[in-house]
Amino acid sequence: MSDADQPTETDGEFNPAAPNTGEEFEPVDVFPDSDDFDLRPGSDSCYKCSTCDTNCPVAEVDDEFPGPKFQGPEQWRLKQRDDEHEIDDSVMDCSNCMRCDNACPAGVPLSQMHNTARGEYVSEQMDTWSIEYWRNRILSNYRTSAWLASKLPRLANVVMNFGPARWVMEKTMGVTKEREFPAFATETFREWWARQGGADASRQRARANRERRGEPVDADKKVAYFHGCYSNYNTTEVGKAMVRVFEQFGYEVVVPKQKCSGTPMFANGMLDDARRHAEVNVSSMRDLVDQGYDAIASCTSCSMALRQEYPELFDIPGIDDVAANTFESLEYLRIHEDLRGELAEVEVDGELAEEFAYHAPCHARNQGLERQALELFRDVDGVGIEDVGESCSGISGTYGWKAEKYEKSMEIGEEMFEHMAEAEGETGMTECPTCAMQMEHGTGYDIRHPLELLEAALVDGDGL
Amino acid sequence: MASAPHIAVIGGGSTGIGIARDLSMRGLDVTLVEQGNLTHGTTGRMHGLLHSGGRYAVADQASATECIEENRVLREIASHCVEMTGGLFVKRPEDTEEYFQEKLAGCAECGIPAEVVSREQARAVEPHLAKDIDKAITVPDGAIDPFRLVVANAASAMEHGARIETHTTVTDLLVEEGEVVGIEVEHDSGSGKRVHGTEGGREEIRADYVVNATGAWAGRIGEMADVDIEVRPSKGVMTIMNVRQVDTVINRCRPKGDADIIVPHETTAILGTTDEEVEDPAEYPEEQWEVDLMIDELKELVPMLEEARTIRSFWGVRPLYEPPDVGSDDPTDITRDYFLLDHETRDDLPGMTSIVGGKFTTYRMMGEEISDHVCNQFGIDADCRTADVPLPGSEDFSLLRDYMDEFGLRSPIGRRSVERLGSRAEEVLKTTDPNPVVCNCEGVTRAEIQDAIEQSGSDLNAVRIRTRASMGNCQGGFCCHRMANELHGEYDEAVARQAWDELLAERWKGQRHALWGEQLSQAMLNYALHATTQNRDNDPADGEPVDFAAFDAGSTPAQSSGESGVAADGGTEHGD
Repeated sequence: MSDADQPTETDGEFNPAAPNTGEEFEPVDVFPDSDDFDLRPGSDSCYKCSTCDTNCPVAEVDDEFPGPKFQGPEQWRLKQRDDEHEIDDSVMDCSNCMRCDNACPAGVPLSQMHNTARGEYVSEQMDTWSIEYWRNRILSNYRTSAWLASKLPRLANVVMNFGPARWVMEKTMGVTKEREFPAFATETFREWWARQGGADASRQRARANRERRGEPVDADKKVAYFHGCYSNYNTTEVGKAMVRVFEQFGYEVVVPKQKCSGTPMFANGMLDDARRHAEVNVSSMRDLVDQGYDAIASCTSCSMALRQEYPELFDIPGIDDVAANTFESLEYLRIHEDLRGELAEVEVDGELAEEFAYHAPCHARNQGLERQALELFRDVDGVGIEDVGESCSGISGTYGWKAEKYEKSMEIGEEMFEHMAEAEGETGMTECPTCAMQMEHGTGYDIRHPLELLEAALVDGDGL
Repeated sequence: MASAPHIAVIGGGSTGIGIARDLSMRGLDVTLVEQGNLTHGTTGRMHGLLHSGGRYAVADQASATECIEENRVLREIASHCVEMTGGLFVKRPEDTEEYFQEKLAGCAECGIPAEVVSREQARAVEPHLAKDIDKAITVPDGAIDPFRLVVANAASAMEHGARIETHTTVTDLLVEEGEVVGIEVEHDSGSGKRVHGTEGGREEIRADYVVNATGAWAGRIGEMADVDIEVRPSKGVMTIMNVRQVDTVINRCRPKGDADIIVPHETTAILGTTDEEVEDPAEYPEEQWEVDLMIDELKELVPMLEEARTIRSFWGVRPLYEPPDVGSDDPTDITRDYFLLDHETRDDLPGMTSIVGGKFTTYRMMGEEISDHVCNQFGIDADCRTADVPLPGSEDFSLLRDYMDEFGLRSPIGRRSVERLGSRAEEVLKTTDPNPVVCNCEGVTRAEIQDAIEQSGSDLNAVRIRTRASMGNCQGGFCCHRMANELHGEYDEAVARQAWDELLAERWKGQRHALWGEQLSQAMLNYALHATTQNRDNDPADGEPVDFAAFDAGSTPAQSSGESGVAADGGTEHGD
């Protein structure tokens, strides 16, 4: 291959950030039953510019952390496909914010490299009898803890924030006692959903709304809601807002069987756990996608997992179709509906007539969604919204819950806290539940999800 | 024996250095001269294959048998230079079954362990092999680092009293009364370690015997004493891929042909090669079609090569030789065997023998044979020990260690460092000083760079071949200046600048043949960095050393002003 016959873009699409590892590069399905990924060819795209390192929030505060360039392309290039080449333990200090993916000008599959290396480290090198392993396992299986807590939510809320208990948890498990555990809802989103009549009732409401809106009653508007763990067990108001907003626009909502998206498991290298959950999610979403549903998540990390991490890490039948048909909730409405037009007509009053300090989650940035809330709400009467900057909130899911990472997590968040303090409003807004935890922890502000504001602005209250 | 005879060996490639080690271990007094770095000629330009002999098992069984013998020896004495990757001869549907069977039978006849594996088995070992291959034969091919091997041989020879002079060109053979009695050389920078800017000089090295081990250059040396040595240099291209697409040596199972081998080499994979006779071993065209051919042909074995990143290409010249009466037209027909030409019996010129032809894998055997021959001249009866005594670095060592605890290094960096240093790892890497990574692509730390500088003076290309620093995917874009910086202290600014420029020029040379795709982006980024942040396009400070004393100390603070002592940045003259 010389200058004379350079490969041309076959599909004519200019996509500079797409992982560029060659058409023949198929690390995942070389052997479908093997977890033995070889990502060395991904290093071909790296020209060492270090933009990833300068964008890494962990490297900024943690001098011991060698940064994404080392963790990804360098470590992979130095590696070999034998058992004796080990993964450096520093991969466990990566918070999986995935900002490096976004920063890279050359399309290096950085987070895939990190996730794969971390998975290999945990399964091959980490002591599964260690406290760190079990602490990480418990943190990443938040869904299990949350499910338990939801059985006795009031008791759980008291016990989980009981001082002496938290002291013991920090000493024995390494879970920081500095943070408050999120409150568990007394009724989960799914319980509420069932009580509202589920999918059948939703179809009726959607049809009525289409009629009201002058749209064809049989319009093909149907979405499958991936609520994730947090909207189900903790902030059920976000899940309810999603349903009300989508139905308002005439969408039939179904809430399929689902487990954790896997985001905290990827971040802790628990790839076997993540695969088990992913198989359930893909299997139920795949059937719906076949029937013309799109998958909608209200948490940007959940949509990230379904869209990017699943196809990068797993080979599950239908995974590519599900990935291609997954959207974040606001993103989806902005594509298909005239949200700005409708918002121009209304004025928000009541509880949410506030000035919001908006933080874009890192995983939202990776999906190109960091401006959506600002662009949507900045001209709405009755509310104000201000971007608190592009820094990482610092919590990165489970990262900030680890006792040894807590200080670093707060140091990363410092810039965001300062900007929030300087912003006009005293209510925060973000799409990510753990960013919300960090925002609340650092400022004491109340934090809302954009869907809640959409609901306040657009839903007339006749529905659910 | 009153005093040991003094032997002058010309040529610092694998053959010459193997001879120097052998003779010095037998107690002879040895001086070796090399016109460039060690490995400067053909040795540094090979694909790093430790032959099992499989490649010669059909057409040249004598060579094949020697290869498997030496393969076993090198695994023992040079373990830190060898990676036993194993090899495959891969048959595609269009390759004949007949040749496949000949190959298998040939291996058996030459004592090369070989087994047939199915397509599925071959692809389980090497997942990136093409899906439509038929089957393969496994052989004990390996990868060997020629630089490390030659440097270790040189270190061993020096331990046994040999004198090694690099950057020293032979300008004449000293002939007295019809006998070669020594060599006349020109030192590039004085005797001993090379230091840029040091005055060179001529030297007459008198010797009791001269060995001409200059490979493709043997004819030049012969001319100096009017003897004819008809070496037929043949060029071959090798293309380096950024990563290892395979961890096993992949050979195409078909009769000799171009572009039929992929050798995993350290962090890279090397594709080879072509075979074309050239007139002059130092000046020959390096053509793009040769590089294209590597990728076009070898992608039939490993399809992902088509889209993969190439970091550079280089050419080597084989020092092929055949007795004048054979007369092969095609260089691929010329034997890979070696020949010992005693100029006393051949040309009536006593005092010198040339060794020509041969292969890297059998360098030690060649060294043994010529050392026997030299010893015979002096009636010395000393046993060859080069097959039994491990090279420095290959004494007992283990790769399995806790790199962070022992050396404070990240796991992959520690591992690569210890692989390179072998048993010298502790001596080099255990340091109480800060030991940052200087070359990130290959994982080379300051301690290893400093160790190499200690061995080879200010020559950063000599540091490069010892450490692999600047040989990774950025091709020195991010580390050449750091390497030059490591010269500080021992060497002054002018020396560091020259060494730096020389390294950059060498790194650029091989990249010219890989300027498309990712490596073109890399080259553009390197250029921008070097030009805009390091003045490497045109440095006003190049040339004469900077006269720092000529700069004034800054303006004297005005006495009358109330702001006396405030510097322009707002701080005080003693800092903020």
